[in-house]
Amino acid sequence: MPESLRVVLVDDEAPARSLLREYLAAHPGVEVVGECANGFEAVKTIGELSPDLVFLDVQMPKLDGFEVLELLDPAPAVIFCTAYDEYALQAFEVHAVDYLLKPFGRERLAEALARARERLALAASRRESSPAEGDGAPEAAPAARAALARAARGPGRHAERIVVRDGAQVHVLPAERVDYLEAQDDYVAVHAAGATHLKHQTLSELADSLDPARFVRVHRSFVVNVERIARIELLAKDQRVAVLNDGRQVPVSRSGHERLKELLG
Amino acid sequence: MHPLLGRPARLLLVIASAALTGVPLAWLLRLLEPRPWSAALAFAVPMQVFYGFVVLSAWWVCRRHPMGGAGSWRAASAQCSASIQASAVWAGMGAIWAVFLSRWLYPDLPRAAIFRDIGVLFTVGIPLYLISAIAHYLFLAFEASHAAERRVLETEVTAREAELRALRAQLNPHFLFNSLNSVNALIGSDPEGARRMCEGLGDFLRRTLALGARETVSLGEELALVERYLGIEQVRFGERLRVELIVEPGATACRVPPLLLQPLVENAVKHGIQDRVEGGAVRIEAVREGGLLRLVVENPVDDDAPVRRGEGVGLDNVRRRLEVFGARDARLVTSRQGGRFRVTLTLPAHDEVPQTAIPGAAHA
Repeated sequence: MPESLRVVLVDDEAPARSLLREYLAAHPGVEVVGECANGFEAVKTIGELSPDLVFLDVQMPKLDGFEVLELLDPAPAVIFCTAYDEYALQAFEVHAVDYLLKPFGRERLAEALARARERLALAASRRESSPAEGDGAPEAAPAARAALARAARGPGRHAERIVVRDGAQVHVLPAERVDYLEAQDDYVAVHAAGATHLKHQTLSELADSLDPARFVRVHRSFVVNVERIARIELLAKDQRVAVLNDGRQVPVSRSGHERLKELLG
Repeated sequence: MHPLLGRPARLLLVIASAALTGVPLAWLLRLLEPRPWSAALAFAVPMQVFYGFVVLSAWWVCRRHPMGGAGSWRAASAQCSASIQASAVWAGMGAIWAVFLSRWLYPDLPRAAIFRDIGVLFTVGIPLYLISAIAHYLFLAFEASHAAERRVLETEVTAREAELRALRAQLNPHFLFNSLNSVNALIGSDPEGARRMCEGLGDFLRRTLALGARETVSLGEELALVERYLGIEQVRFGERLRVELIVEPGATACRVPPLLLQPLVENAVKHGIQDRVEGGAVRIEAVREGGLLRLVVENPVDDDAPVRRGEGVGLDNVRRRLEVFGARDARLVTSRQGGRFRVTLTLPAHDEVPQTAIPGAAHA
């Protein structure tokens, strides 16, 4: 008797979910504990239920599958289900268990499921041998997930939005509404439209995903949206601040000033 | 920049041919006042080279005052006044050059002869300038007809390309994969529905191929295709997709390019339904107003949704095909307002296939 497996299905199309449900019913021990029709629901449900395995669509409203993964910490084991083959390579970079191309049959799903069980069993045995390492499902480091998100957008393209999770709430911040980013220990404070959101990521990773023509690293701990800068003030030698349109000030280092000059000419 | 001045080789050609025309001018001057050939050429050749460049200025006057239509008289008068000015400049230059020559090289030329030479320059200068203006007009006309020809060719090529791209986009593989996945799901839960969906999908593909091969189709045929498509998407999206179809009976007979509406509806489903949690209504409207057919495709859009890349490409494609079809009467306008994205197409309302209107075939 195989070990029981708690599963969440994420797909915006009801028929796609019912197909998965039907296929999975044939596998004893697999329990579908949740179904989500969009990325927001997925983040909330997976966060609450911490399932062993998630079947995840890529193209969904609000948040795509990769953004959902980016917001989950720890990330669950994931099997992507999509009609698009172009994300396959990147999916494996974030240690997706498998990548099912729609339409797929029972055998293909059984294969993916077997792979997931194997992966989970391995993680469990590792956990027993060294309890300090890992805490459940195999997960990709946030850095790898960010790398995936970047790769999924394709070369030369930049994130048009930043997704942040605040407890049960998910915020989608369009990049053009972001004023500046500030490094705070393991987090980045995203200042946008008068509010501040904390995102678990390094400043470099987040800055790398954004359009370099708009976002400039002006300081070791600050990245600013150049469209928000009203003026640069010199406080002392090599000590400048960028004054934003709303009067807030962001420190500018010497090299940051060089980068700004280069961009703004 | 004048086309003759752009390259060194052409510039040399201008100088050489202008210098050659110095010979007849020298001959004319010798006729009026005998003098050695050397004196006549020393005056005439540099003057002709100088004037060669002056008459090239007709190019800018020609471009500013194109010939033809109501502007012709104004162009003619502009050229006449330019010719007088050019000639006066030339005569002025001639005076300076003549004084220089008479002081240093040919002191025995009488003063009256110098005055006469200047007069000759002024008189000859005006027709020379006008000849140059005519040559420039001819050149411009030649160039314009050449450009027009090229534009026609380019339009044809873009039209073909657009058609091909429309066809390729039509058989969107992801649409097919997702639909097959839905069929797969229905086989278990609703075999009758699966059967209907297979029929619908087959019908949609057959219609797409059939319509895509034709020059024009009736709006009714295009709408039937769109309805098949929406029927298939309805299975995928369920209640998220609502369809509002408002078609004026008189509009369905109008001829339209095939697969014109279909990509717009597909866009509307993608951005208005697939990308939105709550979905919404895709609204299609066809109205015939006088000689024009107005088609509207509308979908809900989140106000904070960014304008996506790729959206523009599909619209450009439709716009180009529309231009090829309806020329000046055809228009594609988009608007985004009150949470709705709306594409409005306007095109001439033809009931018949335009090329096959046979005179006298109506009643014997």
